[in-house]
Amino acid sequence: MKKSILFFIQIACLTALYQLSVWTVSTLNIPIPASVFGMIILLLLLLTGIIPDRFIGSGAAFLNKHLAFFFIPIAVGLMAYGDLIRSDGLALFLMIAGSSIIGLLITAGLSTILSSKRRSKQ
Amino acid sequence: MTILYILLTVTVYLGARVISMRCPSPFTTPVFTATAVVIAILLALNVSYEAYTPAKDIMTFLLGPATVALAVPLYHNRQVLFERLVPAVVGLVIGTMSTIASAVWLSAAFGLSETIQATAAVKAVTTPVAIEAAIIIGGDPALAAAFVMVAGIFGAVFGPFLLNIFRIKDPFSRGLGIGTVSHGIGTSQAVLEGPLQGAVSSAAMGFASIITSFVLPWFFPLL
Repeated sequence: MKKSILFFIQIACLTALYQLSVWTVSTLNIPIPASVFGMIILLLLLLTGIIPDRFIGSGAAFLNKHLAFFFIPIAVGLMAYGDLIRSDGLALFLMIAGSSIIGLLITAGLSTILSSKRRSKQ
Repeated sequence: MTILYILLTVTVYLGARVISMRCPSPFTTPVFTATAVVIAILLALNVSYEAYTPAKDIMTFLLGPATVALAVPLYHNRQVLFERLVPAVVGLVIGTMSTIASAVWLSAAFGLSETIQATAAVKAVTTPVAIEAAIIIGGDPALAAAFVMVAGIFGAVFGPFLLNIFRIKDPFSRGLGIGTVSHGIGTSQAVLEGPLQGAVSSAAMGFASIITSFVLPWFFPLL
């Protein structure tokens, strides 16, 4: 019982932090999405020890584990593009797949090569 | 009806999770299978996306807080992140620019319209940034959201698989690549692969969205 109340309080705190970020980003015209801004703020709060890790740990772990769920209702929105998918679907898919593969391999490949070079220098 | 749509989505998601744990494969990635099944059911029942939207709004209420919560794995892995900051930033910046350029060039090669080419440029980043950036360079914001979804699902489904094929085993680089090209959806899969992958992927997602919004307005006209 105590655990589940704590859990809901943690989720509520994360929600409050997010809403605060939405407000800050729109009021100050910060060109970063509110969720990324909130992530940076929470990281700073954790790094400075203002919020101890154990205070939000289990709520955050739960949300992280089920992050994929929150994207499903949004991705269902693709059903509204039936006509476009029927006319240009294959070309669009190949374009998105091809450019994603290029970006993925360049990013991960460069990071692997540069890191191993640095390590061998040290 | 809204409650029924929520129940449907939650049930399909939980079922998709069980299947992905019993038969792990790119094709059982929950965000892919669950989305496909929910769409199929709604189409079979003749339910429009407009009718489903109130349920969507309720279910996505926690998406913002869940993204904020990614700061926790980031915090746990702070040491590695600081140690490997330089190679990570170099990889991420070059990777972001190459995914933008290749998306635009591939769209042009396939003879897709200029609006689609501009929209393609923003597909790798998280939705709010993609929408804003698409407007600035002459793309279509609604279509941008759709491209972002496809790019995210593609990265979640095939990202780990492609990295295996190319023998990129380093968990740090895996997370970096996935977060850079497939934002939150890829990150939701990277989190399940391992805490370090999840942490680096969240950082990469955030950083790629910032880089894209700064770079795109001058980089896109050059392509």
